Amino acid sequence: MLVDFELIRRAQKSDSAAFNEIVLAYRKRILGTITRLIARPEDVEDVAQEVFLRLYFSLDQLRTPEVFEPWLYRLTVNAAYDYLRKQRRRQEFRMSDLSEQQVMLADAVAGGKADQDQQYRKKVRESVNSLLGAVSEADRILLMLKEVEGLSLKELEKVYKVNENALKVRLFRARQRVLKAFGSGEKRRDPDNTGEVEL
Amino acid sequence: MMNQMRGSDDEKLDALFRAYRDSCPVPEASANFMPNLWAKIESRQTFTFSFRRMATGFVTAALALSLALGVYMSMPHANPNSPQTYLEALAESRPIDAPEIVGTAHLDPADR
Repeated sequence: MLVDFELIRRAQKSDSAAFNEIVLAYRKRILGTITRLIARPEDVEDVAQEVFLRLYFSLDQLRTPEVFEPWLYRLTVNAAYDYLRKQRRRQEFRMSDLSEQQVMLADAVAGGKADQDQQYRKKVRESVNSLLGAVSEADRILLMLKEVEGLSLKELEKVYKVNENALKVRLFRARQRVLKAFGSGEKRRDPDNTGEVEL
Repeated sequence: MMNQMRGSDDEKLDALFRAYRDSCPVPEASANFMPNLWAKIESRQTFTFSFRRMATGFVTAALALSLALGVYMSMPHANPNSPQTYLEALAESRPIDAPEIVGTAHLDPADR
């Protein structure tokens, strides 16, 4: 816990200073999580503000301060999920407007400006985002929380309020779908099947 | 990093997820983060407050209306033209000595 229980109790009693302290304590963590969940740096701050906005108006519903963190994660997941749903609608429209050549050209220009390390990071992000296109937004978030954020099944159980077995099944299916996409992507990149992955 | 990518697809995927975590830069919050957040909170509070006030107004008006209707319905309405009870109304419309009620029935043998 980044804050003590007393601070949460004070914020629950509409103490603005206490709420401010909570936001300042969790802001970096939430920004990081959202960055990895939505993969659009320009919108991260807006989504983070939405998380804290929801926190402010629902803080009185929190029964015990002990479950504050999983609860904040839940708010983050919901806000990211809402964002991704809206975004997918917009993205379909945007991508259909671009020809493959235009996309390649934009990539080349962006690549020319960035240094090698940045290019590598960019490729990793693109690979993962493209792989996660094989699953729904909800499963994308679940996989991210488990595989990237490193949340345990126990923690995910608290966030999702679903039993561990149901989560395991959902995670397994989502991972299988991503693995399938990963395998077919590899074959396209490496028809001779040398076992190398190009990032 | 490339060496980690060798092995089964599962291991490669795990390595890719780890690389993804490292490749996502955590943005620093802008200087306007807190002022913008409080502005959003205040604007939503104002909206919620006016919505609540409007809803309270509607509820009060609906209560007052139903109370007035209740009082109106419970008051006896004397109408000299209308009969008092259903039986009286029935008796009035079909007097017992009406010819179609007391008359003999004619049976046509051809109908049998």
